[in-house]
Amino acid sequence: MSILARPIQGALAAIVGREALVDDTAARVSAAVDGLVPRWIVRPRSLEHVSRVLALAWDAELAVVPRGGGNALALGHPPSRLDLVLDLRRLDRVVEYNPDDLTVTVEAGTTMGALAARVGARRQLLPLDPAGVERRTLGGLAATDASGPLRARYGTMRDLLLGVRFVQADGVMTWGGAKVVKSVSGYDVPKLMVGALGTLGVLGELTLRLHPEPEFEATWLAVFTDVAAAQAFVARLVDSTVQPSRVEFLNRAGLAACGAGDGPAAVAVSIGTAEEAVRAQGETVARFAREAGAWLRPLGASFWAAHAEATALDGAIVLSVGTLVTLVGETAAETERAVAAAGVAATLTGAATLGSLRAAFPAVEPRAVGTLVERLRAFLAPVGGGVIIQRAPAAVRAAVDPWGPVEPGALSLMRGLKDEFDAKRVLNPGRFVGGL
Amino acid sequence: MPLGPGLLDELRRILGPDGLVASAEGRLVYECDMHTFYKGAPDVVALPESTAEVVAIVRLCRGERVPIVPRGSGTGLIGGAMAPLGGVMIGLNRMTRIVEIDLANRAATVQPGLINLWLTRAVQERGWFFAPDPSSQMVSSIGGNVSTNAGGPHCLKYGITANHVLGLELVTGAGEVVRLGGKVADRAGYDLTGVAVGSEGTFGLVTAVTVRLLHTAEAVQTILASFGSIEEASEAVSAIIAAGIIPAALEMLDELMIRAINEGTGAGYPKDAGAVLLIELDGPRAEVLAQAERVATICRERGALDVRVARDESERALLWKGRKEAAGAVGRLAPTYLLQDCVVPRSRLPEIMRALRAIAERHRVQIANVFHAGDGNLHPLILYDDRNPEELERAKAANEALLHACIAMGGTITGEHGVGLDKAKNLPLQYGEADLNFMARLRRIFDPDRIMNPGKLLPSHPACGEGFRPARPRVPEGAWI
Ligand SMILES: Cc1cc2nc3c(=O)[nH]c(=O)nc-3n(C[C@H](O)[C@H](O)[C@H](O)COP(=O)(O)OP(=O)(O)OC[C@H]3O[C@@H](n4cnc5c(N)ncnc54)[C@H](O)[C@@H]3O)c2cc1C
Repeated sequence: MSILARPIQGALAAIVGREALVDDTAARVSAAVDGLVPRWIVRPRSLEHVSRVLALAWDAELAVVPRGGGNALALGHPPSRLDLVLDLRRLDRVVEYNPDDLTVTVEAGTTMGALAARVGARRQLLPLDPAGVERRTLGGLAATDASGPLRARYGTMRDLLLGVRFVQADGVMTWGGAKVVKSVSGYDVPKLMVGALGTLGVLGELTLRLHPEPEFEATWLAVFTDVAAAQAFVARLVDSTVQPSRVEFLNRAGLAACGAGDGPAAVAVSIGTAEEAVRAQGETVARFAREAGAWLRPLGASFWAAHAEATALDGAIVLSVGTLVTLVGETAAETERAVAAAGVAATLTGAATLGSLRAAFPAVEPRAVGTLVERLRAFLAPVGGGVIIQRAPAAVRAAVDPWGPVEPGALSLMRGLKDEFDAKRVLNPGRFVGGL
Repeated sequence: MPLGPGLLDELRRILGPDGLVASAEGRLVYECDMHTFYKGAPDVVALPESTAEVVAIVRLCRGERVPIVPRGSGTGLIGGAMAPLGGVMIGLNRMTRIVEIDLANRAATVQPGLINLWLTRAVQERGWFFAPDPSSQMVSSIGGNVSTNAGGPHCLKYGITANHVLGLELVTGAGEVVRLGGKVADRAGYDLTGVAVGSEGTFGLVTAVTVRLLHTAEAVQTILASFGSIEEASEAVSAIIAAGIIPAALEMLDELMIRAINEGTGAGYPKDAGAVLLIELDGPRAEVLAQAERVATICRERGALDVRVARDESERALLWKGRKEAAGAVGRLAPTYLLQDCVVPRSRLPEIMRALRAIAERHRVQIANVFHAGDGNLHPLILYDDRNPEELERAKAANEALLHACIAMGGTITGEHGVGLDKAKNLPLQYGEADLNFMARLRRIFDPDRIMNPGKLLPSHPACGEGFRPARPRVPEGAWI
């Protein structure tokens, strides 16, 4: 330990207590981010702790990686440096739950599993269901704007985060947004924090909009002879009055991963509302499927749990592929071909009515990933689509820009934001777009 | 501050002789928005027809540090599209083109001056609509809706404007054109679209908007339920939500408002009603029918005096008629009013209504209420006679007291109208110095020289000024540096 490090350590211990400061080698090594071993792991118990730790980090110019469940640490560029891992999992209180107002305020380390259990008892839900969601923390979900099939109906964290308490890089505790479901007072700071990967502030407390659980829900699967037929089915759904909760595209490997049979392309649709309305809409969906040459078959409710688990574990490399709704089929086919050219098979899933696909496949050489990602980016660029590497070995993300190009004017504003709010590059340095 | 003749010449060169309003009487039209309290005419009004012209104007003004005020239709209720410091107003109402309608991708791109309702009109025959529906949608511009993040009666179910904006073209205060977001979801980088929505022209000018379009619902059902008291009606609202039903709209009128409406056009609300609830459900037919029945049952269980279900479009229009005429109807009670837009958590509606009555009594004013009950967004109309200055002062005091009461209940000072000049001074009720400082710095990223709509949205408080740093926690006494 360097001479300088010793007093920092003393100061950290003075803030969080000796017990909440981890510096033994084994623990530090296992907390490494992309091979960078932190000098300390700090486990704050309060936002006050977070604030004081960051104030110290700011003055000492330490590099800090905040973490929640650790599910999305392989997102973004590898950090350019790392001194301190800020483990937020002890910030796990439900601060205020107002079932009558359909709002809840939680600390950022609260897991979705814990929140779901709490609000589920009142038949309410926070409709976010990305892969492995149960174990993920709300702070992590917000920082990465992670979403799953339910976004077809409820949108993403962007549409659910009402207010946020965060700690700026220099330790200043800040609040943005409101605790009520409707507010336009001041800038919509929560929007800025969603998906920012903690690079503008460490999320501490989130106020979220909840939804009532649907009274009744049913899910069906339509398996098609090719992606074009699946695309035609999705187009019919989009141009109809049906209000589905999920419209999930699956390719052959995706179907297999969810244990839902075999076929070149499939779409799983769920509808949740009054029972008679679910049935009536189900008939319409069945007709659309028939017209696209497929039979609709009912699936059990366990399908979505199987989907969440399968997608949590489904590949060393995961890409999110953003395309137009009208190009979902073609994009899926192109993605399959591009991944196949790298010698592996892609598992494809994704919200079809939003053009939001997800491709998972086993690890291949960084160069091969680069080739396929560039190919897909070139394919999608003309329609404004893109590819983000959601998960990959560090070597891949060191060789291939995980975010892809951002429009220069927008990027320069983003750089402006980072320069303004984290000039010393304390928070997640290097991980975000453009190496911010 | 009078503009130099050079600047006027330059503007004329950019826009041509028809593109400027420079005469005193011409400029007077632009001295306020619909919050007519606040007046400030610009030194000149520029009416560009393209993004390129907007860029040229902004660069010119930036070079001379001249304030710029964007304006859509001027229907704002906040002292937004007016020029307290003079300068150049940029009216966007010549940029009204629908650039693209792409129903298969559920999107449209429009120029900012397009009137909200025109977009829906362009797609409704094919079964689509643009969801944000401020009551001003026949006259307000989409650029204005985006800049104020407008709501409307149906945002309980559909969300406010921000939930429907996919992308923007923005000319920043630095005179740069940036394209944010777009038709494809899942973009890398900060959600600049999200923070630019609702920035009230302080970041720059919105010169194009890509919005989400929705498919028209299969069925609509409108129910009117009247209650003996606001408390009972509020309980019915809570019970509807607790039953897992999110109506498209859930509007409430209080006793004074009911009386005013009944005396006017005669919407025929029950005379002894202390509160009227207007509930609209839309969606797939089977869902709407099932939910309408449950809603009617809930209202009866909660002691409704009367429950009417519209059987067809003309009955539906009739039920809405009174609600839509509310603002006009109070004209019979007093010459004018202050309109408030604060929000409380829905469960505290009965409590805020009690507080409101106490405030009305204390300040000796009448307050009529019509509001978006489903999301707790109040629209109290504080009545006063503008010929009597003392009455105005009481109305203003009641207004401030009301804001404080809403904040004390965990609410917000504005649910949909925005901040503007009117509420900039009230922002510190809701935000601390660090929060305001964060917002002030955010603004500077987009508008480094602070020429965009100065004086609006943020208070001119030291917390927002140059060089101010909110208190940081002190590093504990330890050892080092
Ligand atoms: C009768 C009536 C009913 C109303 N009902 C509702 C309602 O139900 N819900 C609701 O939310 N509001 C309502 N409003 C308020 C108002 O209509 C909305 O705020 C609307 O969004 C304003 O649009 P506008 O085009 O008139 O904007 P303006 O009033 O011209 O401008 C509003 C603000 O946005 C800025 N701005 C305008 N255009 C641009 C642009 N292109 N780029 C950058 N900045 C810009 C202006 O500088 C100003 O700060 C109502 C108003 C009236 C008069």
